[in-house]
Amino acid sequence: MNISKIANLKFFYIKTQKISFFLSIFTLVLFIIGIYWGLYIAPEDYLQGNSYRIMYVHVPAAWLSLQTYIIMAVTGFIALVWKIKIMEITSIQCAPIGAFFTIIALVTGMIWGKPTWGTYWVWDARLTSELILLFLYVGIIVLYSAFNDKRQAVKITSLLAIVGLINIPIIHYSVEWWNTLHQGPTVTKFDKPSAHITMLLPLLYMFIVFNIYFLTVIIKRVRLGIYMREKNNKWMEEYLND
Amino acid sequence: MNSIEISVNSASCYKNNNIVFNNVNFKVKDYDVGLITGPNGCGKTTLIKALCGIQNLESGEILFNNVNIKDSKSIFFENLVYVGHKNSLNNDLTIIENLEYLSALDNSVHKTDNNVIEKAMNFFDIYKYRDYMVSDLSEGNKKKASLSRLLISQKKIWVLDEPLSNLDEGTIKNFINLILSHQKKGGITIASTHNDFSGNIKNIRHLKMVGNK
Amino acid sequence: MITTIVKKECSLYFRNLNNMFLPLIFFFLIISIFPLVLGPEKILFDKIIPGVIWITSILTTLLTSNNFFKDDYNNGIIETYMTSESSVELILFLKIILCWIFTCFPIVIFIPLVSLLFDIPFQISLVILLTLIIGTPVLISIGIFGSALTLGLAKNNTLLPVIILPFYIPVLIFSASAIEAVSVGLPYGMQIYILLAFLFLVLPIMPYLLKYTLGISINN
Repeated sequence: MNISKIANLKFFYIKTQKISFFLSIFTLVLFIIGIYWGLYIAPEDYLQGNSYRIMYVHVPAAWLSLQTYIIMAVTGFIALVWKIKIMEITSIQCAPIGAFFTIIALVTGMIWGKPTWGTYWVWDARLTSELILLFLYVGIIVLYSAFNDKRQAVKITSLLAIVGLINIPIIHYSVEWWNTLHQGPTVTKFDKPSAHITMLLPLLYMFIVFNIYFLTVIIKRVRLGIYMREKNNKWMEEYLND
Repeated sequence: MNSIEISVNSASCYKNNNIVFNNVNFKVKDYDVGLITGPNGCGKTTLIKALCGIQNLESGEILFNNVNIKDSKSIFFENLVYVGHKNSLNNDLTIIENLEYLSALDNSVHKTDNNVIEKAMNFFDIYKYRDYMVSDLSEGNKKKASLSRLLISQKKIWVLDEPLSNLDEGTIKNFINLILSHQKKGGITIASTHNDFSGNIKNIRHLKMVGNK
Repeated sequence: MITTIVKKECSLYFRNLNNMFLPLIFFFLIISIFPLVLGPEKILFDKIIPGVIWITSILTTLLTSNNFFKDDYNNGIIETYMTSESSVELILFLKIILCWIFTCFPIVIFIPLVSLLFDIPFQISLVILLTLIIGTPVLISIGIFGSALTLGLAKNNTLLPVIILPFYIPVLIFSASAIEAVSVGLPYGMQIYILLAFLFLVLPIMPYLLKYTLGISINN
């Protein structure tokens, strides 16, 4: 049992070295194509002009920030129940990536807000939820770094992530409810029906690119996590010496 | 009482990626006294905790009558009393209140007779301190109070972590007699210790742990 | 068994009257700082005082729940709970309830006095009272969950608020909106029902969650 677990980490670490390298290049190429598509080929919006183009970064980042949290909680759950090491590592390594996506979504949302609302920040439901999501990520990262025993830390943060996942819909709907109560219907961010298919296609493409980017980074981070955990082990020394 | 067997099978444990102990095998049954000895930092306390089911193992298993203790927690805890390194006494309660509290935890069904508590306190010679706040007691008396839980709870398995620390010689002698009489009734004692007190106890199961590095 | 445990926990609170009264004193201190900072205009206070009371209650619950398990952990009593035949969930449930009675309930009792200080109309202070009675047990339970999470840390003085505050948001939103609704004469039943839903969701689950968390926290 013990050996198969370590072998699992070892297998992953060794096998992904090349994959991780090629994925990085692949992601970079895809990303450049996506930016070109979004910024030059896609048509201008008749209402918002060119400023809408930031949604090609903003919307996928916002989706990914939530998706990463779900992945973190689910892998954390698997780690807690079946005690699979690689899931422990994956779960905690999701947190900084998710926080990064959340920050991207917040910053791009603010940049978009200036020409649209006339101010960088409006306490609108989605931005507020996104901000709270960032606080949840920050809580997990801070809690993890406060522990000396990182394996205990992973268990605790996994638990927090699971409880957080149950809470996210509650938080989201209460914020939405709060928002409608205080502001009434405002301009919804990206009017869905008006968006033309030529605008949506690059968005879908960017969503896929962001997912591949997530895959690339999570593989790199999990490898780092494996290294941190196994650096005193024999196989790691042997592998690095080769 | 039914006969009981506890076995530790090839247990190993890690803390923060450092190995604490590896491949420990150990078995005790009725009328046994299990002594876990070894130098500081060799994982005695960790093993004791694992035996009580509050420390996870990296690999291996701990069986209670051939069932993993994780799957038989309720029956296992009905038979077990664990006196850890910490005294499990509340500083702002008197000794007698603390013992009442602990006996309520240990016997959730019947209320423990006050006589039993009194007797246990007399045995350890702390009856005169019964209304002292725990924070006012010496370490040795605190230890005695936490050990008198053994007599109050009337369980079959005693798991003790360093029971002799802070005790004076007379009390140690007394305490060893207590273990002997518990043994005569068929009870099991598992204790970690750094000074071997096995002198005149029979049926000793020794587990000598060696530190790593 | 229950009576013994409740009796001992109560006498613990009575012997450390600080534990009981500090939250209350803290509450009044913070409340009276607001007028000093914002100026004593009545119109302003009519608008913000419900929010002020709620924010102060949050700070108070954070203060009380921060070291909730610390003593029991240092004494080894948590380990004894986990290895005893009694139901740990029941004990934890009792401890949550008692913590609420001894630290939050005094605040609830003194809300009429706060209402006098800030001249809050009776109808509104009644709703403030109601939201506090329903809301603070939820906050206390969540705070205690946070203290169980941070129990394994060597130094955990400031972490708890960072981890726990986002989880407070739903309770806050609905409490504040109930108070706001009554102050403009709207019905507030729905908000109260939602708060009750939170209460009956959190209280039954919390003991099980706490036991699991403590199990991880003492595992080191």
